[in-house]
Amino acid sequence: MKVHIDEIKCSGHGRCAKYAPNVFKLSDDDGYNADRGQTIEVPAGEEENAQLGIKSCPERALIIVED
Amino acid sequence: MNDGTSRESIDPETTPEALVERFGRDLINDFDLDDPAFNDRFDETLNFMVRKCPVVHSTVGKGYYLINTQDDVRAAAQNWQTFSSAKGYMPNRPDGLPYLMPEESDPPIHTRWRRVLNPHLSPKVCASYEQAVRDDANELIDRFIERGECEFISEFGALLPGWAFFKNVLGLPIDDLAMLVNGVEEGTFAPDLDARAKHFAGVFEYLETHLKWRSTQPSRGDLIDTILAGVTYDDGTIAPWEHKVSILVDLTFGGIATTTFVMGSAIHHLATHPDQRQLLIDQPVLVENAIEEYARFFPPVVALGRTATSDVEVSGTSIKEGEFVMLAYACASRDPRHMDEPEKIDVRREGIPHSTFGVGPHRCIGSNLARVELTATLEEWLKRIPEFRVKSGGEPTYVTGFLRSMRSLHLEW
Repeated sequence: MKVHIDEIKCSGHGRCAKYAPNVFKLSDDDGYNADRGQTIEVPAGEEENAQLGIKSCPERALIIVED
Repeated sequence: MNDGTSRESIDPETTPEALVERFGRDLINDFDLDDPAFNDRFDETLNFMVRKCPVVHSTVGKGYYLINTQDDVRAAAQNWQTFSSAKGYMPNRPDGLPYLMPEESDPPIHTRWRRVLNPHLSPKVCASYEQAVRDDANELIDRFIERGECEFISEFGALLPGWAFFKNVLGLPIDDLAMLVNGVEEGTFAPDLDARAKHFAGVFEYLETHLKWRSTQPSRGDLIDTILAGVTYDDGTIAPWEHKVSILVDLTFGGIATTTFVMGSAIHHLATHPDQRQLLIDQPVLVENAIEEYARFFPPVVALGRTATSDVEVSGTSIKEGEFVMLAYACASRDPRHMDEPEKIDVRREGIPHSTFGVGPHRCIGSNLARVELTATLEEWLKRIPEFRVKSGGEPTYVTGFLRSMRSLHLEW
């Protein structure tokens, strides 16, 4: 499972990392998703947390990319 | 047209007659944020509008629309090119009130400021204030715990957010907090629009004086120094002094005038629901969820405005260029299209995308600090005062406009 983090839409709510800390990391500097604009691989076993993190984003900034 | 009759089938609940009978006015064509009936029947009106009235119009003053569904609010909030913040966020803005940076600007001006301000209120920095905020919560509780009662708003709720923000972030003295809280409250809710402008002017003057003084002092490397250092806009101009003052005003408005409502509402909910109190005491891990749920259900920011930069259609309603449009965050957080039973408070909900902190590039810059304040409040309060109730005759009183505020809440234990 891969997730793309929209560079423009991410606005620093921080919900993704709250629900899926092993998937989504926040920048120490500003608290926005550290991988903004990139596509990341969800570690095995973290799919459920990732789904919750994706769902909780008020911006819908996280998009599952079919691979 | 948005008169309820142009749709394919007429919903008997949204005819002007039905709306007048139920809400005292035609909500769809004649809405008013400042109507006392909206204040009194806040939950019912929000729940109804998000289901039945995707867009409503107000004829008050220069007029404004309210966008109510989560999808429409998100789309408009993210589309700053069409829904601009540069003409302000308040409906019928008081004349002469300077625009507040960065909230009342669009990218790229907005982006320049947020880039330098965000690091001062990041999750990491706010987490470093947690112990200090908990200590402050306990200091406030110490003042009244032996008395067996308190007026929650004036003795706790209106103080902790200001203390947290002034002491840790701005380095401002807390002695003048009451004056500033009053200025912001009256500037927002005073029935007379001229009075609102005067109260806001007082807040501006106080904060500008402080900023001027800090500009004569050695740098502390804090948020104030970042404001004073300023930014260069994309056209090469340097941000003027007025923009710097307005940033301090904007941050202060947000830092002292909003979190109090979530705090007061959460404590009121726990005072009246012993089972929920026990649940959080037995399962402290739920506090984090509870804070999101209370923030979702008790929104201090009912709606913030934008100005349409071109003709645009939202859920069938035509909005003309130049018209004022409010994004009803309070409604969007209760959208049944995106959650089950949104009219119920359920602290076990997970991953609910509420919009209490706004949506889009203007996301509340203080959201991380607000969460620290709310966590400290719930955890320290339940530790010190696990049993409490509303004092007879001391039920909460509210005032509502584009913000919602709790004026008083008398508790005893």
